[in-house]
Amino acid sequence: MQEPELHDLSDDADYAASQQQGSASMMRCDRGKRSSSSEPEGAEIVYLKDNVTIHPTQFASERISGRLKLIKQGSSLFMTWIPYKGQSTNARLSEKDRNLYTISPVPFADVRSIRRHTPALGWQYIIVVLSSGLAFPPLYFYNGGVREFLATVKQHVFLVRSAEDANVFLANDFENPLRRTLSSLELPRAVSIASVPSTPVSVRESTSRENEERTDVGVRDENASTSRYNGRQRQKVHDPARDLSIHVLEKFSLVTKFARETTSQLFWETHSNGFDTFERTNTNQSVLDYNHKVDEDEELPVKSPVAPDPLELERFQVLCQDHPMPTSTLVKQKAPYRKHNHDDEAATNVGTFELIDFKEFDKLSLVWGKPRQPPLGLEEWATFLDSEGRVVDSKALRKRIFYGGIEHKLRREVWAILLGYHTYESTYAERKYLRSIKKTEYETIKNQWQCITCFFRGMGGGEGGAKIVVLLGGFFHKPFVLRLLVAFESISPEQAKRFTKFRERKGLIEKDVVRTDRSLFFYEGDDNPNVNLLRDILLTYSFYNFDLGYCQGMSDLLSPILFVMEEESESFWCFVALMERLGPNFNRDQNGMHTQLFALSKLVELLDIPLHNYFKQNDCLNYFFCFRWILIQFKREFEYEKTMRLWEVLWTHYLSEHLHLYVCVAVLKRYRGKIMGEQMDFDTLLKFINELSGQIDLDATLRDAEALCICAGENGAACIPPGTPPSLPVDNGLFYSQQDEVL
Amino acid sequence: MSYAYLFKYIIIGDTGVGKSCLLLQFTDKRFQPVHDLTIGVEFGARMITIDNKPIKLQIWDTAGQESFRSITRSYYRGAAGALLVYDITRRETFNHLASWLEDARQHANANMTIMLIGNKCDLAHRRAVTTEEGEQFAKDHGLIFMEASAKTAQNVEEAFIKTAATIYKKIQDGVFDVSNESYGIKVGYGGIPGPSGGRDGSSSQGGGCCN
Repeated sequence: MQEPELHDLSDDADYAASQQQGSASMMRCDRGKRSSSSEPEGAEIVYLKDNVTIHPTQFASERISGRLKLIKQGSSLFMTWIPYKGQSTNARLSEKDRNLYTISPVPFADVRSIRRHTPALGWQYIIVVLSSGLAFPPLYFYNGGVREFLATVKQHVFLVRSAEDANVFLANDFENPLRRTLSSLELPRAVSIASVPSTPVSVRESTSRENEERTDVGVRDENASTSRYNGRQRQKVHDPARDLSIHVLEKFSLVTKFARETTSQLFWETHSNGFDTFERTNTNQSVLDYNHKVDEDEELPVKSPVAPDPLELERFQVLCQDHPMPTSTLVKQKAPYRKHNHDDEAATNVGTFELIDFKEFDKLSLVWGKPRQPPLGLEEWATFLDSEGRVVDSKALRKRIFYGGIEHKLRREVWAILLGYHTYESTYAERKYLRSIKKTEYETIKNQWQCITCFFRGMGGGEGGAKIVVLLGGFFHKPFVLRLLVAFESISPEQAKRFTKFRERKGLIEKDVVRTDRSLFFYEGDDNPNVNLLRDILLTYSFYNFDLGYCQGMSDLLSPILFVMEEESESFWCFVALMERLGPNFNRDQNGMHTQLFALSKLVELLDIPLHNYFKQNDCLNYFFCFRWILIQFKREFEYEKTMRLWEVLWTHYLSEHLHLYVCVAVLKRYRGKIMGEQMDFDTLLKFINELSGQIDLDATLRDAEALCICAGENGAACIPPGTPPSLPVDNGLFYSQQDEVL
Repeated sequence: MSYAYLFKYIIIGDTGVGKSCLLLQFTDKRFQPVHDLTIGVEFGARMITIDNKPIKLQIWDTAGQESFRSITRSYYRGAAGALLVYDITRRETFNHLASWLEDARQHANANMTIMLIGNKCDLAHRRAVTTEEGEQFAKDHGLIFMEASAKTAQNVEEAFIKTAATIYKKIQDGVFDVSNESYGIKVGYGGIPGPSGGRDGSSSQGGGCCN
């Protein structure tokens, strides 16, 4: 293995030149050695390259140039990269931040792999991955010199070309010749196992835009043959975690590179390069051939000739933009097939993040949404309250619930606060008082419609009603009775119609509550009192907010609330609070829904332009396929408990009031490969989305949504017009006018 | 499972007339009165045989409430058949037929076959719309008509199959260009590629090619 590898490098056209350059650098560096404090004692600089640059963000002004060195001390080789001082003036990164990227001497014993990228167009760069699982950002060689860098490393460190990918070099600094041999036997095999085509292909696919098509194809062929060759030779065991992480980390690291070329299009340009890629690939491959592949490899969406997911690059870019990170904490891999381990994550100044979804590691979604926490329990809840029951730090509480939800037995108390029925500042006593006041108020409204229903049933409406109203006067608020009186004395056609409407609504509600969650124990069986409570609360609400009234879907929203609150009046007021925000979903003209669907389309355009373009081309931009998701907040997509979990997370409004839209994007992104790969039209897509019901992994989706929300940042917020539900309406008349009194 | 043709159906009509129950009776042969109310749209599918040809019916069961009409309209696109359902025990559901029909005419393709179904005919004692009225409405608007019961399964099978037979006949008569999927018809692997070959294929193939 050693022979051909050495030969391989020596074969490079510029190898000889690089050797010369190498010694020249060495001499040059010898001079500079004394002045540098970062080099170990007795060290010899064997390679030096200026203008090696990292790109923390997509902004050219924020690139950080520096000097890359290879230093030999004794038998060990070290790598350093030091940014130049006082380089840029307008950078958003402070000097301190820039220095965070400094690579202080790293022994090659700690290096797992180096990937080189030598695109036909653009700068050459390398990605160095440490055996600890950390990856440095891509180092761009503005003045060339990747080959000589590798050649120099090769001279001092045992370097094996990966069996899987000719551009990956695996470093092993074993002193023992025997182990060295063993390792050369093991490694290629290991990598070839990890060569489930998804990973390397996806890496290349993400970069394909920067490369000429020709180059890309060439690289693939080369890999294929190398892989086959080694596949026959190597039989040793492998460590999938190790191999996987190499690719994953590189992929992650690559994101910056990719970002450089594409973010301008993603964020600021109107035309889409991404979709071109998609189209081009399609023409290159017959649809039939492609469909066949999809059938075989349904679980390998990255193999599909779909436009690459810009998600990862955005994440990285945003992360770098807003939160420059210390060099050594970029990413840490999680072992595949392992359950969550909360310790297994990388802590940075952005928070913790990690790679997830290794259960299906071929999907390789890179997410740094925090791991979900266990739900908030009673003891912990107490720590959020002062002695009188006020929530001391509402933001901390919302954050806690955002990441973990609430234990069921605590929901009754906390939901009322999250929904805004009780304020965070309220004391136990105040809440108790409000409950009693509101109970009376609820009973009053309920009595109103009950009496009127009786009255109309008995009197058939009309003149005689006035007398009864006067008799009833003692029981009701004066303004209400007065209006009732006026209405009855001269029942105008319009008002008569309203009562017809009320009766219609009543009929509708009665029909719908018996079709709401009846398979659930709580609502099961004939004459279930809880079903009657659903009916009464919805009827009362339709009377309380007559303009909005009742619309299908409301019973879905009320059902979990009643299930949690158990008590009628409490459920009603929590439902009222929820409808303050979601009421526009049920407007007659559907404008609340359309506003959200529109915002969703803008978000997808921002976060996944190839997918957006796909929808556009297939006449799916109305996003009607997400209608049910939004209308009833995913109630039909998850099982009951999960729905409640999702809702309490959404209600925290912790990262955004519109997290539900990011949840939509997250789910769409999860299935983007399938949607685009199978060329779904509107009908197929609608059916597909409908059938996702019960299939969506809530925790993973929430983490994706969180990451997307962070990625989108202000650009995301700008996609969502003010007043978009569940934001409170910017102006009361915009969506509906709510009436506390009726008639 | 392969099919000669796939027909897209849409079920429309006021809320609570029994659209989902009709679908469930047709696809699963059961009646489930406590089925969750439909939000947006639900899907069902079943294979039937017409003229010895396996035909797959893909059925879209829509939400009936007025508020959702703007969304429902987008589902008409590419439907070959529609079941327009009313409840014979609720007059208003019959009164609203004209507005449903108007939607269908406006948003579906002109050759869509529409079957008018007076559902819940098992509840004859609560009947609010006579059979004759239903027949007359159908006649006036060029619809096929049947009274049915999703509960007892009476005429359910017939309604779906008769609609399919009508569509099938239209194909045979060359009314549709079946290669154009906007008519709500897809030609399957066992189907006849194009309207011109239709007649010959239907008499000679006998469905044997579809297994």
